[in-house]
Amino acid sequence: MRSESSDEERVDTAPEYRPGSEADFERLYRNSYRRILGTLITMLRDRSAAEDCTQDAFERAFKAWKTWRPDAPAEAWLHRIAINVAINGQRKERLQEVGALLKRVGRPTAPADPAVLAERSDLLVALRKLPPKQAAAIVLRHFHGYSNREIAISLEVPERTVASRLAAARARLQDLMEGTRAGQKNFG
Amino acid sequence: MNGAGEFELELERELHRILDPISAAPIPPRRAPISGGFTKRLLGGAGAALGLKLATGVAVAAFAAAAAGVATEVAVTGSLNPTNWGQSVTKAVQTCKDNLRASGTRGIGPCVSAIANQHGEQVSDSHKSSDARGNGKDKGKSDANSHDKGKTTGNGNSHKTPGSGGGGGHP
Repeated sequence: MRSESSDEERVDTAPEYRPGSEADFERLYRNSYRRILGTLITMLRDRSAAEDCTQDAFERAFKAWKTWRPDAPAEAWLHRIAINVAINGQRKERLQEVGALLKRVGRPTAPADPAVLAERSDLLVALRKLPPKQAAAIVLRHFHGYSNREIAISLEVPERTVASRLAAARARLQDLMEGTRAGQKNFG
Repeated sequence: MNGAGEFELELERELHRILDPISAAPIPPRRAPISGGFTKRLLGGAGAALGLKLATGVAVAAFAAAAAGVATEVAVTGSLNPTNWGQSVTKAVQTCKDNLRASGTRGIGPCVSAIANQHGEQVSDSHKSSDARGNGKDKGKSDANSHDKGKTTGNGNSHKTPGSGGGGGHP
């Protein structure tokens, strides 16, 4: 992800995007698709849901592309849209889960998808238990290496509250992961 | 504090372990936005059904107006010749059918229903007016008398359209 790409490649420090330009938006898409997907994977149920939401987010962003102001980093602006799409997606997921559960009652469970198994991790489970914006803040800082300003734009919060939000998210995440480990030890 | 630092390092390592493989995955083509906007959405799906219903409603209303015209003509001219009636109804149904076909609806059910209703109302009105006119002098007598009068003075169609009993008296 960001660690693999140089700072020159970063879309939010490259002010060459023109609002409303389809060619520029296509470039933005190619530059930031994976980072947006990476953030949404930690917020949503699985990779396919995250891919779907990522496409939805780019669709919405394209509609609003004319209104984007270059003073806000483009990728942070995209993240803001994507996080909102994911929050709405989570609501739909919860409704679908109830429906799927009702359908499954009395039937044998289907074998697990190998792709889902590969992404199974205590950290992901814990991240998905966090409030969506807290999970996003963790990924934006500890994976994408965003600055406080970029996180503030992405989460639609004042810059001065980012540090406290991050501290709260980390503390909650640590508790959740320690709880999971303690549970595993007790079972073991 | 050290524990927190360790946790952050662990966090970053785990995030990279999970999310780095995504960097290797190909980027799919961007999903094309749905064009057409509000109007297209309105005209598609449920909107189309609503539009069809509206078009059907307009066609049936036009037919009802035509049927009313036929009925009015009968009332005005007093011509109750079934042949004329049949021709008028056929003409009115054809008009309605054409309108419906133009709006994409099949069948003549709504047209027939509309003219049948119209005709029924017309017959009912004629009954009432016939009773009022025919029994003006014989109001004190029973209804049976009015039917008798219709039969005696009618032209043979009185059983269908009681108003014809006083046909000569009508304008």
